[in-house]
Amino acid sequence: MLASVERKVALFLFVFSFAYLVFTFNLPPFPYAIVDADALPKGLGFLLAALSILLFIQNPVHDRKKSNMKKDEVLMLLAVAGLIFVYILLFELLGFVVVTILFLLVTSRLLGYTKWKSLIAVAVGFTLVLYFSFNYLLQIYLPQGILPF
Amino acid sequence: MDTISNMLYGFQVVLTFQNILFVFIGVLAGTLIGMLPGLGPISAIAIMIPLSYGMDPASALILMAGVYYGAVFGGSTSSILLNAPGISGTVATSFDGYPLAKQGMAGKALAIAAISSFAGGTVSVVALMLVAPLMASFAVSFGPTEYFALMLLGLTAIASLSEGSTVKALISATIGLIIATIGVDQQTGTQRFTFGSPNLLEGIDFLIIALGLFALAEVCSLILSRKSKMMGGNTNVGSLKITKKEAKDISGPIARHSVLGFILGVLPGAGATIASFMSYITEKKISKDPSSFGKGNIKGLAAPETSNNAATSGAFVPLLTLGIPGSGTTAVLLGALLVVGVQPGPLMLTDHPDVFWGVIASMYLGNIFLLVLNLPLIPFIARILYIPKALLISLVIIFCMIGVYGVSFSTFDLYLLLAFGIIGFIMRLINFPAAPLILAFILGGMMEQSFRQALTISNGSYMTFFDSTVTVVLLVLSVLSLTLPFIKSKLSKKKEEEEKEHLAS
Repeated sequence: MLASVERKVALFLFVFSFAYLVFTFNLPPFPYAIVDADALPKGLGFLLAALSILLFIQNPVHDRKKSNMKKDEVLMLLAVAGLIFVYILLFELLGFVVVTILFLLVTSRLLGYTKWKSLIAVAVGFTLVLYFSFNYLLQIYLPQGILPF
Repeated sequence: MDTISNMLYGFQVVLTFQNILFVFIGVLAGTLIGMLPGLGPISAIAIMIPLSYGMDPASALILMAGVYYGAVFGGSTSSILLNAPGISGTVATSFDGYPLAKQGMAGKALAIAAISSFAGGTVSVVALMLVAPLMASFAVSFGPTEYFALMLLGLTAIASLSEGSTVKALISATIGLIIATIGVDQQTGTQRFTFGSPNLLEGIDFLIIALGLFALAEVCSLILSRKSKMMGGNTNVGSLKITKKEAKDISGPIARHSVLGFILGVLPGAGATIASFMSYITEKKISKDPSSFGKGNIKGLAAPETSNNAATSGAFVPLLTLGIPGSGTTAVLLGALLVVGVQPGPLMLTDHPDVFWGVIASMYLGNIFLLVLNLPLIPFIARILYIPKALLISLVIIFCMIGVYGVSFSTFDLYLLLAFGIIGFIMRLINFPAAPLILAFILGGMMEQSFRQALTISNGSYMTFFDSTVTVVLLVLSVLSLTLPFIKSKLSKKKEEEEKEHLAS
């Protein structure tokens, strides 16, 4: 019954809409409003539930292109996501310049860019140009971190 | 003439050194990003938004609009040279553009694309200039019920016109509306779905969603296709010359499709992609020699190219005069405008005439820049297609990070960005369109406000939605638009046949 991805998604959305509805019914009421803050969310919760049932019934498998992702490609995506996660983790700690240079080097290398000289030049040049133009031209201050400037 | 003096005022705004520079930066960045297969106009605008922080509103919109029509202009280059459309609005361009390039006439194809784009863009800017003030004066009388119905129409239209299943598109839109409910309620101050986190009090910033669902998700697709080279070793595009006969041949399609494209652009939900397909199909239908389409017919190239650029300016009509975007891309433009503190709508003509007329005037200038960029300079610009994907991917990721950090200065939002990137990629895998989500998210707050305003005025009576003729007509249209998919399925069968023919040739 749950053979197609669509049906799994439909089930997930139905559970999600149910959880959302539970939250909407627990919103504190506001005494002086004609239409209170929970009105629209309740409607949306029911709408999503109805649509997910419709998706389950329709089960539109035919409109999906077959995706044939290989295992190592999935791993690559997860690896890049992991690198982004680490990047965010260290972003304010080490500062924009240091983490960005490291991120550019590691990610580009991981994705298969092998020309080290141009990679280092781009990583350092791009990061510094961005950092200085944001901090001094646009006055949007990116985290300085461990560097003195 | 009022229009003429207004336009002169618009040019006064644009013709400062700074704004000319912004037009140029905008169209150049748009051309480059639009040309890269995988990155579409929404990503292009979202990536450029950080540059506009702190700019005055007129300059910001001039820049962003330039990125938008620049991306539509630039997308045609990769359609022609690589058969890999830079954006979805230029898919139809590749049907006849790529065969021309294969026959060694890439230069001619690029020149025709550039001229048709220029003509379509310019004609529709004139139309925009004439139509927008009329529309604005009509919309001044709109109350909350009209606005609510209008936004509802926008959402149902985009859902029924988007690729694939309408139910999926409606689910995307509903989720967009649900995400918009996060944060402190504007009218009662109730905290909704914040889970006690101070980071969620103001809701989720639209830039996080735009960059996540589009730019980061597109990065994922780029990662998967990184091994395929973007371009073979040949930069030689051949002569850019067009003969007199060819010029005469394409003048018909250009005239027809700049009007058709503009009208389709104004309608909610349609936009550049649908306009270009419609134009291609009609041009083929009225042609004396339909079998030559798909094999390098210059009319088949001129028609969609004129139309997609005309639709781009057309999309500015509802955005500027009603404050209601009709597509995902204009929704992101609206978000960018709100960041710099301008609420588009019928009052913008009187409140911010500099933004209104400035952006229209800037489009004339932008189209001229684009013609220059895309005609003589195209062999040089096309070199961007040589940037190694591995490098490009990591640079785009950094742009997304800075964009979000620049609005909120909080790493919480960066984690959210990553989460939305993953959601966006999964949506792509299972064919849920992301454009309805971003449009719904941006309209969500406004829709809820006008819905509750309307009911507060009527003291809770839902009959208020049937009081005004305009509202009733719009509501009926929204319901009707949901029946469109049936018509669409017929059309798409035709499109498939067309593509099959194209592949067979």
